[in-house]
Amino acid sequence: MSTTRHLVNRQRRLAAAQSVKEAPARTKRGEPEGDRKPDRDRKPDRKPDRDRKPAAKGTRTRTRPLPWLPILAALTILLGGTAAWGFAKASSLRDTSSTSNTALTDNARTSEVKGTVTKAVDAVFSYDHTKPEQTDTAARTYLTGKAVAQHRELLAQVKSQGKKQKLVLSTTVTYLGVQRLQGDRAQLLVYADQTNTSTVKDGDTSSSAAMFSVSAKRQAGAWKIASINTFDR
Amino acid sequence: MPRAITPTRTALALTAAAATAAIWGGTSWYAAANDDSAAFAKSRDEVLAAGEQGVQNLQTLDYRDIDDGLATWESSATGDLLTELKGGRADFEKQVKSAKSVTTAKVLSGAVTELDDRAGKASVMVAVRITVDTAKEKPGSKESRILGELTRTDDGWKLSALSEAPVESATGAGQ
Repeated sequence: MSTTRHLVNRQRRLAAAQSVKEAPARTKRGEPEGDRKPDRDRKPDRKPDRDRKPAAKGTRTRTRPLPWLPILAALTILLGGTAAWGFAKASSLRDTSSTSNTALTDNARTSEVKGTVTKAVDAVFSYDHTKPEQTDTAARTYLTGKAVAQHRELLAQVKSQGKKQKLVLSTTVTYLGVQRLQGDRAQLLVYADQTNTSTVKDGDTSSSAAMFSVSAKRQAGAWKIASINTFDR
Repeated sequence: MPRAITPTRTALALTAAAATAAIWGGTSWYAAANDDSAAFAKSRDEVLAAGEQGVQNLQTLDYRDIDDGLATWESSATGDLLTELKGGRADFEKQVKSAKSVTTAKVLSGAVTELDDRAGKASVMVAVRITVDTAKEKPGSKESRILGELTRTDDGWKLSALSEAPVESATGAGQ
């Protein structure tokens, strides 16, 4: 290989000496190809008279491409416009509030948050006078931020009368829907049934229907209720 | 040695760049337009909007403008619910007129719980506050836990079933 290249280079030098007016484009093309295809390279280098023809042709073609300029410009504008339109269309389809909300579209996350919030609501809104600490443990596990104080307020009455009245409050989520899911934040609508039993009054039981929305936050891999909205009730 | 920069070459390079961008933009648009999850998300939001509006419509009625009110009811419903509404219309009209009742509803919150985009079926939860004002009684409001089912029609999503979430007692001793 090296011998061939050497030969080629020598020949090229000779050729260059012969025709000083060699087109620069020719020389350039000859070099990289010289390594692989020396015989192809040889031809143009050897015949400087032939080289002059393309050079002369080149000047002629240099006047010919000029009418192409407006065509290329028009094409560029047209294609550029197409590109812009495509990107605009794509982003308007993608970056909507619909798509940023992954409730139901992200099945795994949707059921994950549904499962945890169901468990959380059942636990934090249930109270048994024989084991009141369970409610507190649940609150510590499942509540965060504003929800802690809201929960304390909502259960204040039950807790203060719990021992005396021997109260058992049990809450069961019956329907739950994820309204919004975006990364580590979610908003859910909850329908729950509550049964309140006072063992003092000979098992006096009352049931009530509850509805509220909660916001949930994912902290350290676990969903927690961050706030409770009881629709001003 | 650098190749001579001619206007034609510059233009060609620009055109090639534009062509690449156009192909990229086109594919990007095509991908976005055929993005199933984006279409699903759009349907979900349409279902919620239709569900909330439908529940609001079906919980609103003024005895002084009963024809318009019931026309709105029927335009929000389809399937079984529509059949039910049409069947009970005469009796219901009489009832509302004699009680002189004005019912208004405010949607508090709503969520889509199920969506089968292909089948065109969906379920929603809509929490509403309903205020009833009758000639005899003082206006009273109550909260209602509505469950709705929607079906896709040529005219958009419409309610095909409507009910109130039942109160189930955990101990079985409830109402």
